[in-house]
Order: sequence, then structure tokens, then C-alpha cells
Amino acid sequence: MSETVIDVRDVDTTLGGNSIHRGLSLSVARGEVIALIGGSGTGKSVLLREIIGLLKPQAGHVELFGQSVWDSSPEQMNLLRRRFGVLFQDGALFSSLSVEDNVATPLFEHTELPHPLCRQLARLKLSMAGLPADVAGKRPSELSGGMRKRVALARALVLDPELLFLDEPTSGLDPISARAFDKLIRLLADSLGLTVFLVTHDLDTLFSIIDRVIVLSNGRVLGSGTVAELKQFDDPWLNDYFAARAPNGETVDGN
Amino acid sequence: MTAAQAHFDATQGALIAGGAWHADSAPALPPLKGQTVRILDGAAVTRLDTNGAWLLLNAVRPQASDPMPELRGFQPRHLALLELVAQHFAPTAAHPELPQTDLRAAIGRGTLAIWGHVIGLVNFVGQLTIELALLMGKPGSWRWRELGAQVSEIFAGAIPIVIGMMFLLGVVFAYLLGAQAQQYGASIFVVDGLLLAILREISPVIVAVLVAGRTGAAITAQLGTMKVTEEIDAITTLGLSPQAVLVIPRMIALLVALPLLVFIGDAAGIAGGMLVAQGQLDISPHMFLDRMDSVLRLKTLLVGILKAPVFAVFIALIACRMGLSVTRDARSVGANTTSTVVQSLVAIIILNAIFAVMFVRMNI
Repeated sequence: MSETVIDVRDVDTTLGGNSIHRGLSLSVARGEVIALIGGSGTGKSVLLREIIGLLKPQAGHVELFGQSVWDSSPEQMNLLRRRFGVLFQDGALFSSLSVEDNVATPLFEHTELPHPLCRQLARLKLSMAGLPADVAGKRPSELSGGMRKRVALARALVLDPELLFLDEPTSGLDPISARAFDKLIRLLADSLGLTVFLVTHDLDTLFSIIDRVIVLSNGRVLGSGTVAELKQFDDPWLNDYFAARAPNGETVDGN
Repeated sequence: MTAAQAHFDATQGALIAGGAWHADSAPALPPLKGQTVRILDGAAVTRLDTNGAWLLLNAVRPQASDPMPELRGFQPRHLALLELVAQHFAPTAAHPELPQTDLRAAIGRGTLAIWGHVIGLVNFVGQLTIELALLMGKPGSWRWRELGAQVSEIFAGAIPIVIGMMFLLGVVFAYLLGAQAQQYGASIFVVDGLLLAILREISPVIVAVLVAGRTGAAITAQLGTMKVTEEIDAITTLGLSPQAVLVIPRMIALLVALPLLVFIGDAAGIAGGMLVAQGQLDISPHMFLDRMDSVLRLKTLLVGILKAPVFAVFIALIACRMGLSVTRDARSVGANTTSTVVQSLVAIIILNAIFAVMFVRMNI
């Protein structure tokens, strides 16, 4: 199970004159649930966009499933895109389509299946994402924030990807919905054998569902490991980060 | 990776599947009409995802009420996946096709929509009147800076297009009129006809249509986007009124700009006509102006220019109301912008017809 799914090597990024990544490298093995953390402005979301092929880094290599993201032909890249799903921060649902069609869109575009069948598969994913059957015909604007995230998760999963990217999956959700969403991600990751790479600020997410945490600082990977291992690190930002949670005296058990 | 395949074994009542099963494997399913499948055999399945699992289950169990077949030979991982999909199987039942909406329903819905627009506009006018009455007592709370910015955008920005369009219309109109008048040796009357048409009808209507398309659409899109990004809500919670801050400055700016633009359009149209008169009809600019001086009465000019403020009020009302009634998605910004342009054009044409009848009855 040690096949490398995400491989980022020596990435340099400069945006608007600011150097964001300086020789950043990381790798993720199949089946891991990984969280990327770091202070504001350390380029977490930028790194995510570079990995999924939306933003080209100035230097360095990004490989998914052993295939380069930035040196592939458009056809190869489209095949690669079928193998991963992305959940954007605000869901990024298409407001002109019904919920069901939103989820079915990747099937419409990437498979030869007849449209009614695509919609049936979309409803399967909506149900797996924990949504009641009656949301299928609604518009995204009629749903709450938590439900929109679940719809977006269903869309990210509809092609049965091997790899799932999540950008701040629990931001903007109340604590109860956030924990339920965490559990859902872990449940789906375990039952579908997914590799999950998520960017988060949410300490509760880290403590509950994450196998390994990668910390970005000063344009590099500061370190990676389980939450318990990271607590031994002597880094001011990391200490403050964990201290933000510690005074509550809640159970802090890593995994 | 082996391709998906499946065949039906009639003696056992078993569907025997093999290979990799995913969303693209649907064509590999054999036709199973009327057959009862008692066993689903997956010993040869090499890869299975939820889409593949659903396709297999859907094939052997078309109705959710049908009994679950025996699952035979699947790897434990695949079995777990099949069970997960079976749990969520109920909501995926095929929906009956929605009945086509018939013509009567469409007409009914359309009528209600138009009625809704009328009610909405009246309601909006009421709110605006109250807002305006409140503002009258407080000259200090007028948004002069916003008003100035709007006037410069609506007026100065539209000058080139108004001049260009009205000039060309003047050219075309004088040319066609001249071709007819020349046959009767009545070339000089082209000036009379041109002045009447341009000043009284063409310039006010064309400039209003232009401003409805240019400024009306921009106002709706801007206010609509502000609504989507909750800027309007922020204005309200700061104790300000969106009507006073956003709507009234735009309305007054349109009220100021449109008559001025119509006047500029008048001048451009006459200039275009003058050019054709000289080239085609041998009427020198001097003769043209001389004739204009003797036939043009002030009221012809005023009739055209006085229509403009009425058009302006309607364009502003429609554009602002549609902007503020955007719901929180990108689609409704587009729909409301379209609606603004359509409603404004209809309003301009209807108002213009009312004016025409009214002026005739009043012998103006």
C-alpha cells in the first residue's frame, strides 16, 4: 500500500512579486487521509491549485499517480482528471442547474451513459453524502451551507475517484455539521478506499479523522506526522496553533 | 485491467460478472428483460466502484422492492461496497418522465409573471416615494458625490455612441426621404421631414433604447451582484437605506442625462441629414439652416426632449427594481438583466405610443 499518489518536488511559486513556495516537496501514499495546515498566507490553497492543475508553479514537478500534471497533453490530463475529485471551499455548485444535474454533470461529460441513468447514479451519491431524497430537484440556492457542501462532495465523488481534494471542507459550518461532515469524509474514505488530501484550519478535523498532518511554513514543509508527533515540534507557530485548543481541557488523543 | 463482461446463466438464474466494473461498463450488461436473477456471481470481478456496483444491482433488481439476490464469490472489499450501495439504493429508483408543460399552463404562468412585475413596480414606486419624501427634508443626506459619478458615467460615457448612431440614422433618413422628394422636385421639403422625424420621434426613442441597453443593464447587473455579495444587506444594517444610497442617485442621474443625450442626438441626426442634403440634393448647409430657421418651431424640439425624462424614470425604476430583486445566485443576475432590457424596451415603445396619441388629441 505504499504506492505514491501525490508527489510534489522542489516547487517554487512567486505570485505578485511575493515568493510563496521555496523548494517545497511532499508526497502522499495511497489510502492516506492527509491534512495540510499552515498560517494564513503560507500558500496552502495555492499549493492545492498547483496540484490539481489550475495554477502553474514557476519551477518544480507535480505528479499525480506517477503522471506529471504540468507536462501532460490535454487528453492525458483529462484522463487524469477523472481519477480525482475536488471539493471547493464554497462548493462551487452551478447555480443554473438542479442539485441532481450538478452531481450528474461529470457523468454527462465523461461517460457514454444515457442521461436518466446518470441522474440515478447522481441520486446514489447524494444519498451516500447523507442528503434526503427530496433535495435532488432543488436549486443550490435553496439549500443551507452544510447541504451545499454535501452536494459538492457528492459531485466530487460521482466518478468514483481514487483521490479526493478538499479545500477547507468544514469552514462556514456550525460545529455539529462540521463534525458530521468529518465523519462522513472518513466513512467514505474508508469504505471507498479513497486517498484524501485536505486543506484545513479546523483543529477538530485534525484530531478526529486525519492520519497524517503536513505543516507549511516559510514556503517549505516544516514537518509532517500524526498530531501527537507534531506537538513535540519546537516551532512558535505550531505551539500557538495547538495552544488555541488546549485550554479547553478536551480530550486530545491524536488518533 | 480487463474489460467488464457479464452473461446470464439461465439454468442457475445467475448473472455472472467479471472484469473491472465502473460507470463506463454499462454496455457490458446483457439484456435481462423478464428474467428473475437469483444469484449475482462476482468471482471474476477484478475492480468494482460504487457506479459499477449500482449498475450490477440495478440490473438484477430493477425495483427496490424486489428481493436481494444471493451475492456469490465477491471479494470482501467488493461485498462491502455492494452492501453500502444497497443501503442507499432506494432514492435512485427511476423517476417517471415529468409530464410536458402544456400551452395553457405556460400562458397562465406568463400572465402571472407579468402581473407580478406590475405589482412589484407599483410597490417599488411607493417605497421610493416615501424614501424621497424623507430625503426632501434633509438636503445634507443627499449623495452628491454618488450622483456626480453616476451622471458622468451615464452621460459622458454615452456621448460617442449616441452621436455615432444618430448621425448614421440622420444620413439614412435624409437619403431615403431625398430619393422620394427629388422625384417631385420638392427637395427642400426634406429638411422639414427630417427635422420633424429626428427631433420628435427618432432621437428620443433611439437614445432611450440605447440608454436602456447600456445603462439599464449595467445598473441591474451592478445592484444584483451587490445583492449576491450581501453589500445591500451591509448598507441596510449600517442604518442607511439602499433606496437613498443607490436608487435615487441613479434615477436622478438618468433624469438629468437622458434629455441632454436626446439633445445631442438631435444635433447629430441633423448633421447627418445636412451632409446628405448637400451631397445628394444640392442643398447647401446655408440653405439648410435657413430653411430650418423658418420651419422649425420650438415645440417640435420640446416635445422630443420632454419625453426623455419620462423614459428615464421608467428605465431607472425597472433597472433598480430588477437589480434589487436578484436572488442569491449567478443565474438570477443574468435573468434579471435580460428582463430589465426587455421591460425597458416595452415600456419605451408603449409610452411613446401614448405620447403620440396624446399630442395629436391636444393638437400639439
